[in-house]
Amino acid sequence: MSVRINPDKCIACTTCVVHCPVAEATPKFLGPRMIGPAYERFRLLGLTEDPSLHYCANCKNCDISCPHGVPVSSLNMMARADQFKKHSPGLRDWVLGHGELMAKWLRLIPAIIKNFGMLNPVTRTVLDALGIDKRAPLPAFAPQTFRQLMRHVHQPDHKRSVVFYPGCYVDVYDPRTGLDMVWAMNRAGYKVIVPEELVCCGLPMVANGFWQHARSNAEHNLKALGLWRDAGLPVVTGCPSCALMFRVDLPEYFPDLADKYGACRLADAQEFLLDAVDSGDLSLKTDGKHTNLPDLKLIYHAPCHLRAQGNGLPGLELLRRLDGVTVENADAGCCGISGSYGFKKEKYDIAQTVGSELFAKVRESGAQAAVSECGTCRVQITHGSGKFSLHPVSILRQRLEAR
Amino acid sequence: MSRIVDVLVVGSGLAGLVAALTAAEQGRSVRLLTTGMGSLAISGGSVDFLGYADSRLASDPWQSLALLPEDHPYRLMGTESVRTAFKFFSDTMEKQHWPMRPALAQDGTPRNTQLPTIMGTLKPTYLLPASLNTQAMASAKKVLVLSVHGLRDCQPALVVSQLKRYKSWADREFTQGLLPSPFGETHRAITALDLARLTDKPQSRQWLLDALAPYAGKYDLILMPPLCGSKANPEVWQAVNAAAGCPVVEMLSIPPGVGGLRLRDALLNALHKHDFELVENTTVLRAETADKNCTSVLAEASGQQRRHAARAFVTATGGILGGGMVLEPGQCWDSVFKIDITVPQDVTLWSEPQIFGNHLFSRMGVRVDREMRPVDAAAAVRWQNVFFAGRSLGGYDYATEKSGHGVAIATGWQAGRMAAAAAAAGEKQ
Repeated sequence: MSVRINPDKCIACTTCVVHCPVAEATPKFLGPRMIGPAYERFRLLGLTEDPSLHYCANCKNCDISCPHGVPVSSLNMMARADQFKKHSPGLRDWVLGHGELMAKWLRLIPAIIKNFGMLNPVTRTVLDALGIDKRAPLPAFAPQTFRQLMRHVHQPDHKRSVVFYPGCYVDVYDPRTGLDMVWAMNRAGYKVIVPEELVCCGLPMVANGFWQHARSNAEHNLKALGLWRDAGLPVVTGCPSCALMFRVDLPEYFPDLADKYGACRLADAQEFLLDAVDSGDLSLKTDGKHTNLPDLKLIYHAPCHLRAQGNGLPGLELLRRLDGVTVENADAGCCGISGSYGFKKEKYDIAQTVGSELFAKVRESGAQAAVSECGTCRVQITHGSGKFSLHPVSILRQRLEAR
Repeated sequence: MSRIVDVLVVGSGLAGLVAALTAAEQGRSVRLLTTGMGSLAISGGSVDFLGYADSRLASDPWQSLALLPEDHPYRLMGTESVRTAFKFFSDTMEKQHWPMRPALAQDGTPRNTQLPTIMGTLKPTYLLPASLNTQAMASAKKVLVLSVHGLRDCQPALVVSQLKRYKSWADREFTQGLLPSPFGETHRAITALDLARLTDKPQSRQWLLDALAPYAGKYDLILMPPLCGSKANPEVWQAVNAAAGCPVVEMLSIPPGVGGLRLRDALLNALHKHDFELVENTTVLRAETADKNCTSVLAEASGQQRRHAARAFVTATGGILGGGMVLEPGQCWDSVFKIDITVPQDVTLWSEPQIFGNHLFSRMGVRVDREMRPVDAAAAVRWQNVFFAGRSLGGYDYATEKSGHGVAIATGWQAGRMAAAAAAAGEKQ
């Protein structure tokens, strides 16, 4: 990293501590104000690191709540990268930080065998010994990745195109959501391009301390995305964490790359669709013969990384515009998973405590399904509440395509 | 950000939330933009209306309003409007099962209460959670001052020695107590919020009830830091008071603001029942105006600028620390509309030698008319659909008057109401 953030904008008002879900769940964590700006002053003097740094989940509620714009979570992530330069992170963290790479290596193995291999009790015990909690809801590999499936999707020949960055979760575990997104974009009058050359945004690597890998992925992506940007095509993603990584984190972590390749901001796909509704490009009238669909009651969870973007909740707004759909905003804070955080043995219980308010709201809502843009949030919600969960765009498709 | 909303509020402190709720309850769609979580995260949770006027303690704050300068926000609005605003706030809190009420004098008139702080000082404040028994506080003879092991912010010995210096508390019989920490040894110093959050949940509430049991029935009053839950939940109070066997009064505490979070919780719960959208982590850079109206504001969010269009606007961006006002030597302006706030060229005149005195910098702010619309030097309204509320207003000094939350509620209500009316007029056009 080439730039350090000045911690002195922090006036120690403690607002971030109030809103830190991890500090709420465990007194073992020193909390964002201390681990972030306060310790940064020690770090600048070359003093030792606080051992509770690893408890930061990088959920960014500190950044969201700070009245003075101190990027507390970035201070924590940079400190973690520094710490891992001295003591390399273990195999467990490597595995959790490199989901995409793992999936690539395992690509030749059929999903059913992969999933049996990864999810059977023996493997789970081994993983548990490695530090991935055996109770954690590891997502299953899809039989084919989204990008593999996209090669066979026949799209209408629209003049306008949009570039779609699926993100690892959709690509590896949840291609269905990706296909629903393509369907919605097509309906809005766009042909969807899914570039093969883009790789993981790097957020899991940053969170697990693999700074150099994140950097090389960032450089690779920025180079590729720059070409699409210069061609004048919008680039969108349905994943809030990928969007946040490109928008905020990369320029902060690797300012030299941002200078070299220029800003590469992924637009929020839900906002893109909402704009298409407003401009009349996307109709929210159902296609089916049965115009009287049964009413649908949903509960929506706003991912922390979406809230951190200052973009409002366009996915929720989109759902609220659908006929016969009522959506409650759960407004219950973080789900606890924070990417791979909640899979870790020493953090599983913390993650469950963090998510408990949300799980209770979801259970008590009487909703038929939970909705959230973030893939791992959905995994966590289903694990914690037992309620089926979907991406907003999947609801959009179900309602509009109903026959 | 496609939808044009009726009322756009900037700022999620008490003024912003009250403005948003007032407009929403009039059936208007409301979007609230905020940088950070607003000052309620560091508030004690009681409402200071007017503690001092003309440097004198105001026992009946309503009587003391007349002593305020004419351009004070309360004077601009007029007493009746301030009363209605307070009633709106009280009704809201009542509906959220967290009633906020003033103490009453013998003749039934509302008055200020001198509430102890965890520093052992007394602070005049007006609306208190109804669960705080002010009668017991005034009459109790045997007083137990409690804190919790590991809670560095509250030391009973300090509270007792300080309180004894006040005439009203001098002849009481004090006992000090320290409850065991439910966390055991911890990596960090615990806060009242950590403990209050345990008390929130029925399964972990028992620690406080058990810890209070040895003291039950032996005192007339227990003073303790804010441990009775971080949410606006009266159930917690009932359980704690029952376990204590006498009235429990929470002392006003330093941040994190447990009491303030209860208010925030209640207001947001009320707001979520309406057509309300909260946009977090975004900073408004400037307003776009055409002639006598504002059309939109431009906000920065995650490296990109976004335009938010609305029919009417409420600015509740706070003061100097909150980012509502920008200072440079010899200059001051509000951060959104860039309205010049007249200040002396010589910055040494901005403050007083007395540190606890009435400084000019704490009174700096935007000048408005009685509808909270900003006015120019000739007292003419600048924009028809723009309203200011809370600390971004000039003409009052919350620190010496002890009037911060009161002005936020009064002006927030007024600004929200006027913005709702302006939006309705804008819609018809």
